[in-house]
Amino acid sequence: MAGLILAACVIPPLILLYFLKLRRRPHAIASTLLWKKSIEDLRANAPFQRLRRSLLLFLQLLALILLALALMQPQIQGNQNKGRKTILLIDNSASMTAIDGEDGRSGVTRLEDAKRRARERIETIYGGGLFGSSASETMIIAFSDRAEIYSRFTDSKPLLLAAIDRIRPTHGETNMEEALKLARAYTTNVNPDQQDRPIAAPAALELFSDGRIVDLAEQVLRGESLVYHRIGSLDADNVAINAVSVDRPYDRPSAVAIFASLLNMNPTPVTCDLQLSVDGVARGIESLDLPAAETHPGTGELIPGRNTVIFTPFEQPRGAVIEVANLRVDDLAADNVAQLIVPPPKRLKVALVSQRRSLIRTVLEGMSLESIELLRPVRFERFAEEGSLEQYDVVVLDNYRTETLPPGRYLIFGETPPLEGLNPYGEGKDQIVLNSKDEHPILRFVTLDYLYISKLRLIQPSDEVEVLAEGANGVPLIIEYSRGPLQVLHVTFDPLDSNWPFKRSFVTFIVNAIDYLGHFGEGLVSRGFIPGEAITTRLPPAAQDITLELPDRQRVPLSPNDPTMFSWGPIRVSGLHVVSWKLSGSQETYQRQFAVNLLSGTEGNIATREEITIGQEKREGLSSAEGSYTPLWPWAVGICLSVMMIEWWIYHRKMMI
Amino acid sequence: MPPFGVTTEPRPERIDELLDSELMAKLDQVDVMSRKIFAGKLQGERRSKKRGISVEFADYRHYTHGDDLRFVDWNIYARLDKLFLKLFIEEEDLSLLIAVDASASMNWGNPGKFAFCQRLAMALGYIGLVNHNRVSLYAFDSEGVRPIPNLRGTRRTREMGNWLLALEPGGYSDFDNAMRSIALSRQGKGVMVILSDFMLKEGYEKGLRYLAGGGYDTYCLQVLSPEEIDPGKHGLAGDLRMTDIEDEDVADVTVSAALLKKYKDNLNAYCGKLREFCVRRGMMHVTVDTSTDMGTLLLDYLRKRGLLK
Repeated sequence: MAGLILAACVIPPLILLYFLKLRRRPHAIASTLLWKKSIEDLRANAPFQRLRRSLLLFLQLLALILLALALMQPQIQGNQNKGRKTILLIDNSASMTAIDGEDGRSGVTRLEDAKRRARERIETIYGGGLFGSSASETMIIAFSDRAEIYSRFTDSKPLLLAAIDRIRPTHGETNMEEALKLARAYTTNVNPDQQDRPIAAPAALELFSDGRIVDLAEQVLRGESLVYHRIGSLDADNVAINAVSVDRPYDRPSAVAIFASLLNMNPTPVTCDLQLSVDGVARGIESLDLPAAETHPGTGELIPGRNTVIFTPFEQPRGAVIEVANLRVDDLAADNVAQLIVPPPKRLKVALVSQRRSLIRTVLEGMSLESIELLRPVRFERFAEEGSLEQYDVVVLDNYRTETLPPGRYLIFGETPPLEGLNPYGEGKDQIVLNSKDEHPILRFVTLDYLYISKLRLIQPSDEVEVLAEGANGVPLIIEYSRGPLQVLHVTFDPLDSNWPFKRSFVTFIVNAIDYLGHFGEGLVSRGFIPGEAITTRLPPAAQDITLELPDRQRVPLSPNDPTMFSWGPIRVSGLHVVSWKLSGSQETYQRQFAVNLLSGTEGNIATREEITIGQEKREGLSSAEGSYTPLWPWAVGICLSVMMIEWWIYHRKMMI
Repeated sequence: MPPFGVTTEPRPERIDELLDSELMAKLDQVDVMSRKIFAGKLQGERRSKKRGISVEFADYRHYTHGDDLRFVDWNIYARLDKLFLKLFIEEEDLSLLIAVDASASMNWGNPGKFAFCQRLAMALGYIGLVNHNRVSLYAFDSEGVRPIPNLRGTRRTREMGNWLLALEPGGYSDFDNAMRSIALSRQGKGVMVILSDFMLKEGYEKGLRYLAGGGYDTYCLQVLSPEEIDPGKHGLAGDLRMTDIEDEDVADVTVSAALLKKYKDNLNAYCGKLREFCVRRGMMHVTVDTSTDMGTLLLDYLRKRGLLK
């Protein structure tokens, strides 16, 4: 606008001056007869001959227009979203910690690159200059598995730049829904009296990401515009550890067996060296060949090359921190290391609640347990009321119907426990197992192929309940229910109503289940967490001075209301998290370690998407060069100078006719 | 650098600057050519249609009262008893009129148009005097016509030269009135030469029509300077305010290639129109560049065009 005003102010005076400036040299001539006639002839057929044929005037006008254009500070890709609010969505998920440095710059993560591009964008929007127009407000949201507002709508450039600087990397998955919800919350009219008009026009979204967003296809743009700033390279190199588990063999409780699975995201086969460390001391190295990743011919999705390794079991009678590290250097370091906490061999205390001579008791008696206690229903109910069930590591309910289920770990056969989300609706009969999750720890070495169930309880579990085995028509047969301190494995039928007691898998299942439930959440925790989850554990009621040490050695003081139900989250980065506390009246410091691993196949695929599809709309990614909004005013000034030189040359040439 | 077109060469101050002896010697062999045989006031060296006194017999006629008895053929009278008069072809002199434009516009160009006209008039007049023609010169400008009439014989050469040297260009050319008064003042028949640039805003048609009616063989020599013929080539450029040196008329001109081309086209058209006008009325038109060598002009160009022989 300023440039147009300038042009309007300058160009008409130039035309005026063009006429005024003709200070003609006086010249005596023999006769003006033919000259006048010649001038009239030239003018005769061209009313605006003077202006039209005056190349000098044209060039001077062109130079002025270019000068005015330069003052307007034009830019390539320079949509400044005038009148629209701008929201910068910066992806800070795990894949953004990849170091595949654009333009060969090493040591810079994608997130740093994204922050740099975002800063440039802010500079562009609020760069201004003498005649720059003021832009509308801008908001900054960083998102991974959850979204966080780093700056509300503001037009303050320092605030926005500071907000960008505050963004830290996380190892979460990329989930855009929450970010869009946040953005819309700030741009939608919430005044019920003014529903017919929005607070403002739909915002202009600018996404700084590698495009690896899990829920992108489920999102829809509601009038917002979206610009995708592509971060990272299209052919990144990555091999990810996507699973690791540690177990103590049943027959050798003092030994440790370690299993790891790796995914190769590269189009070529690779060989990796896996280093096993125990408490930080290298124990051995295994070499592993991984096949190349393939592209699904139908969907075009990447099918990573997969291979697994099992380290030779070794004696580890004490608890330890086990670390499996992929020594091959690739672009994403976060998924090259996986840690697990191995608890010391622990003998479990198990209670069995049964009203009959139970077959299960026979199985339990065959296990290496510290104690097996048979609880009659009356005693069980009393313990439940008193909270005394905590003394047992696992409580087994053998077809017993109870009305209350206090926090604890339960293996429940037959009767449906009183849990929210199970939705019992009657009884069924004649079922066989059609589908089961064989990779689950409780179903390891459990064969359910020839299991026949004559009668069972029918339930309609909610999404929070994981079905481990199901029969015809999706009828749940074995489920896992986990909510905070309550952990339940439920078999929806009485084993006596099936042929399971005659199968070897029945014994294996009970052993797996007791082991799985008994070693959960106690002392040293063997279960690994993933970023985005919350750390939940129980501390002694007398615990105080509780602090959490993050993987980067940063210490966070915590003051939970109830140490027995301690919870902290969400976890942002992978690595060892250590909770330490003291007991009142004691100076001794106790510690509990939590291993957090990035075991995500989605985040492991870090090749940047060239374009993204949100809903049905495709957006091409702007690379750094394309999206840098190069200012054009130096070009305008340069061309202006060239035009002036041409004008000078033509003027002198004219003088030399 | 002198202003464009302004005459820098000094005008001739002596007669030998008007006509040097070398050219004079060459011109002794040249005569003014008349396409007809003219009657003159004095007996001259050329044949005339008029029967008169000479040695060459032409015809007889009857004696009438008052005839000179010396030309009666007495032999015929003796045989036929009738008086017959012998008629002879008479040789007459040629009347040569030279009109010089002495307006201010002639004092322009390099070489200057007026100085060129002075020299040309001197040369033509000298040719006429050498050949015993009756030479009359006229200079015309806004103040009227200044004549020097009826010169004959080479002894009048100095007088003619001094008259030409005394001319000062100025004012505007009142061409119509000048031609009218010359046409009225001239007597008999002969050759008339007009030296002018013919750049006349009021037009040349009316003035030339006065001359066309008489019995004169008229030559219009249009004298133009090189700057007028090709101004671009001689450095005319820029944004100019042209002032006519005769009438102070002003023309604002931005010299461009297109304008120069248009000027040349107009000049050619103007000259062509003048030529056509002259031809239609039995006159001759010759465009003369002042940079042309005088000898070449007289001994070559004007011979070819029939003015001289």
